[in-house]
Amino acid sequence: MKALGLEIRDLTVGYDRADVLSGVSLVARPGEITCLLGANGSGKSTLARAILGLTPPRAGTIRLGETDITGLPTHRVVAQGIGAIPEGRRVFPKLSVRENLRTGAYLVRDHALVASRMAEVYRVFPRLQERSDQLAGTLSGGEQAMLSIGRGLMGSPGLLIIDEPSLGLSPRFVKENFQVIRRINESGVSVLLVEQNVHQTLDVAHRGYVLSGGRVVAEGTADELKRHPELVAAYFGH
Amino acid sequence: MDLALLAQHALNGAMLGVIYALVAVGFTLFFGVLDVIKFSHGDVVMLGAFTGLATSIGLSSAFGSVPPWIAVIVITLTAVAAMALVGALMAKFLVLPLHKAPTLNVLLITLMAGTVIRESVRLFYPQGSNPKPFPRLLPDGAVNLGRLTLRFDSAILLAIGVIAIVGVHLLITRTRLGLAIRAVAQDPETASAMGIPFQATVLATFALGSGLAALAGVVNGLYYSEVNFSMGLLLGAIGFSAAVIGGLGNVYGAILGGFIFAALQTIGAVALPIASAYKDVFAFGAVIALMAWKPAGLLAERSAERV
Repeated sequence: MKALGLEIRDLTVGYDRADVLSGVSLVARPGEITCLLGANGSGKSTLARAILGLTPPRAGTIRLGETDITGLPTHRVVAQGIGAIPEGRRVFPKLSVRENLRTGAYLVRDHALVASRMAEVYRVFPRLQERSDQLAGTLSGGEQAMLSIGRGLMGSPGLLIIDEPSLGLSPRFVKENFQVIRRINESGVSVLLVEQNVHQTLDVAHRGYVLSGGRVVAEGTADELKRHPELVAAYFGH
Repeated sequence: MDLALLAQHALNGAMLGVIYALVAVGFTLFFGVLDVIKFSHGDVVMLGAFTGLATSIGLSSAFGSVPPWIAVIVITLTAVAAMALVGALMAKFLVLPLHKAPTLNVLLITLMAGTVIRESVRLFYPQGSNPKPFPRLLPDGAVNLGRLTLRFDSAILLAIGVIAIVGVHLLITRTRLGLAIRAVAQDPETASAMGIPFQATVLATFALGSGLAALAGVVNGLYYSEVNFSMGLLLGAIGFSAAVIGGLGNVYGAILGGFIFAALQTIGAVALPIASAYKDVFAFGAVIALMAWKPAGLLAERSAERV
């Protein structure tokens, strides 16, 4: 699928009485890596959930390419060309590695196409092929991260939403992870990267937004955001 | 006790085990995908049996005498299809709307739905409060293997049940729907983020479980040649117990539990110095002991790792 852009306008999302996001607007350009930075509780994961239709918005619109996906159930959002690499990896622990990858291409009924995409994932992550019959719950954290990434690619998405990929991984693996994200993007997939890890994120991203208290407080190219040291210091403390 | 008699009892126990396993798989599937206990499940078994009975009466009044094997196929398929539909409708209109409510509410609403089904059959099926003869459609004969008598009808029913259980296993492990059911059971949110439709998968799971319940009802009717409106109460309690002792949420645990319960009943009826009428007292008592020993079931799994 060709790279898809995302356009969010005045999005308000809340649980119970409190609004977690109020009037957020952002654009992720097709073919770019757009990052979403913010501290814990800034609302960035809620934004990722709202795009996927897991938490329905109260107001505002979400457009993917030419399609309005606001309020669609999650499986229909995914069918429009979004791939998800959820926070915490969330592999299916009692499914084998191969079955986990198969779920990523659930909407693809063509067996040959599924097989060729799986071969492609195995080419990128040979470790997964070695463990293809193993239950995902028995994999190490790093292997589960590979599996979660591979699974997100199986649907050949036009936009990939990656939520906190570096959470809980060793520094060496975090670095590898960012390189993988860059390669995915170079293969023609737009990426929305939700992260806390400011420096490495801004190294791979083209553009970014900074969320705080459920609002966008800064936006710009990655270089512009890097030149906001006081901003970075204020929100991330380093 | 001699060997032939032992084999005879084992065969009868296996027959019961198949029926119980078919009921228990439904309980475990529903719990797997939605974390709910559907207490109307036993009454769906009964409704399936009555649907089969009504179909056979309809068949013979419409076409006169129908070859029995065709009748068996038509009755079974009609009952299974009808209960699959009933199961999907109950999921859509009773269970899913309460998905976010406390699970106790689902338990209550399905308990009430079961009573509605049971009382409706009693009141609206012609002479529904009396036991009804179920047609004897399977061949009557038997072969004598030494002193072991193998009735053809038992053999056929046993084969149908085993095929159904193997079919469920293949469906769960080899098909796209099975993959969806397992993924939804383990993590519904991530499953939908992979494009798996949550509601459709839940409805399909309830249809599958309820279709199996109908099969259990028809097999039960053909085996005992009798059905009655309250048969679902005991079958439901047994199926639920079987699912729990196997480990609720685990399909193979439910099958194992079904056979264990049947074995307990058989032992209670023939091997213990108590009147056979006490077999259920013995079997349920043993279930209580099993649950005290293994509270999470024999094939226990952590709740996050189901089906």
